[in-house]
Amino acid sequence: MTSLLLALKVVATTPEYGAIATAIGGDQVKVTTLAKPTEDPHFVDAKPSHIVALSKADVLIEGGADLEAGWLPPLLEGARNAKINAGGPGRVRASEGIQLLDVPQVLDRSLGDLHAAGNPHFMMDPGNAKIVADHVCDVFCKLDAGSCSAYEKNRDAFNATLAAKMGEWSKALAPFQGKPVVTYHPTWRYFAARFGLVSDVYLEPKPGIPPSPPHLAEVMQKMTEQKIGVVLVEPFQSRKTAEAVAQRTGATVVDVCQFPGGLPGTGDYLALLDADVKAIASALGK
Amino acid sequence: MEILTLWLWPLLALILLPGLLVYFGLHVVERGIIFVDLALAQIAALGVCVAVALGAHPGHDALPWVLSLVFTLLGAGLFAWTRFRHPRVPQESIIGVIYVVSAAAATLVLSHTAEGDEALKNLLVGNVLLVTKGEVLRTFGLFVGIAAVHLLLRRRFLMLSFDEEAARRQGISIRTWDFLFYATFGLTVTSFVQITGVYLVFSYLIVPAVCGALLSPRIRTRLAIGWVVALVAGISGLALSVKLESADLPTGPTIVCCFGAALIVCGILMRLRKGSGTVSAGNGA
Repeated sequence: MTSLLLALKVVATTPEYGAIATAIGGDQVKVTTLAKPTEDPHFVDAKPSHIVALSKADVLIEGGADLEAGWLPPLLEGARNAKINAGGPGRVRASEGIQLLDVPQVLDRSLGDLHAAGNPHFMMDPGNAKIVADHVCDVFCKLDAGSCSAYEKNRDAFNATLAAKMGEWSKALAPFQGKPVVTYHPTWRYFAARFGLVSDVYLEPKPGIPPSPPHLAEVMQKMTEQKIGVVLVEPFQSRKTAEAVAQRTGATVVDVCQFPGGLPGTGDYLALLDADVKAIASALGK
Repeated sequence: MEILTLWLWPLLALILLPGLLVYFGLHVVERGIIFVDLALAQIAALGVCVAVALGAHPGHDALPWVLSLVFTLLGAGLFAWTRFRHPRVPQESIIGVIYVVSAAAATLVLSHTAEGDEALKNLLVGNVLLVTKGEVLRTFGLFVGIAAVHLLLRRRFLMLSFDEEAARRQGISIRTWDFLFYATFGLTVTSFVQITGVYLVFSYLIVPAVCGALLSPRIRTRLAIGWVVALVAGISGLALSVKLESADLPTGPTIVCCFGAALIVCGILMRLRKGSGTVSAGNGA
């Protein structure tokens, strides 16, 4: 076991990357996660500890698809750490090598350019978790060759469990192929694509814009027409809105989360997906 | 040494910039228009929102900056125009209405843009930890300019806030001078708000001025007391949030609470001095 002083210092922007880093790094790394699992990842309030962690980090794992565009760059500017600046040896852009959904066809500013790169919630497809785990393992090996065999062992174990779990999850959701769900924000597009669900009705009229009455009326009409019985809501989203819509349409509100730790008993990535799949399958089965 | 590398610019921002806010605070408290800063910041934000709705991009295009300036000046005009001579309606109520209407209008204007929320948030929720060298220097330059205007014309401005009757007797155009006051004040508030956020602007304006008023009838002494309070509260708030690693406190709210503590201390000091009979009642002007 390496002492904590020699360990790689890893900073993850959001908790799912922190969970992957812990799964791959084990005792050899010290992981700090900036966003809390119950916090909206588009908006994270800067604290002194964030800048300190970034200034000392060997590795920074970020989504790389603009999700953190509002708050990460100024933190990095404050931290002045060349190792993790863009192009630095310790900078991991998780989205590298991942096919992003919903890439805007035309870059029109009236639609906003928050996520010009595409939908950044790709970690909700467990298939992408494997790509990120491989990527993280490569970077750890490059920076800490001495522990590389340990990292690779952890990666293989993670990938093996993931593959086994993938079978379980697919089986649990198999009876609900083509079933639509309503979500607050387009967070569950990748999850839906992976498991054969349909996610294209959102409580928000546009990403980041609070729901307006005409939009909610339209959502409720779609729910009645398409017989949508499930509304997914995350800890930092408006449960009130979800409940109001569900009550009027006889649907069920389901608490889910895209981040490990955001639901009780979901310390790591696999436990989180377990909980999400279970909650969604049980609601769809009603 | 960490303080000089990681926290140098936040520290300098808290040392260099609040001086002007404290000065404006004396005016604002004396005029009894405590929430005017929030209203002006919100009007400026509305300007940026209109620019965003027109397709401009904050940080890249000039339009948001230009419109925030134009809206600030419009707001200044509005506040100068609504200063009634014998107010049956307190001006504070007009200020409140302007605040909520511009906040709501901003939401309406942005309801058709995707990045609206972010633009609005960036404008009103600055975070002093993230301030850059450029921002500190630019804002300091602007503040020095505004301070120079107020230093040159201090008699007029002080008379307007502290002795309106005298100003009327001398036939000074209250509307014109009020407009100049609100315009310079608006510029100050809207640039400071982007660095520190609304809560801090409010604290810097009100608490030092109130502390000064508690402890002294003289304007100069109040200003000096206010500056000391602002420096002590700001720097101790930053130091606490940086040094208390186990607590990991966000900086802005920590500073605001230090201001609260400073006000309590000043209140106790006032009681003690009153008890020993050294303060005489009086009106400073």
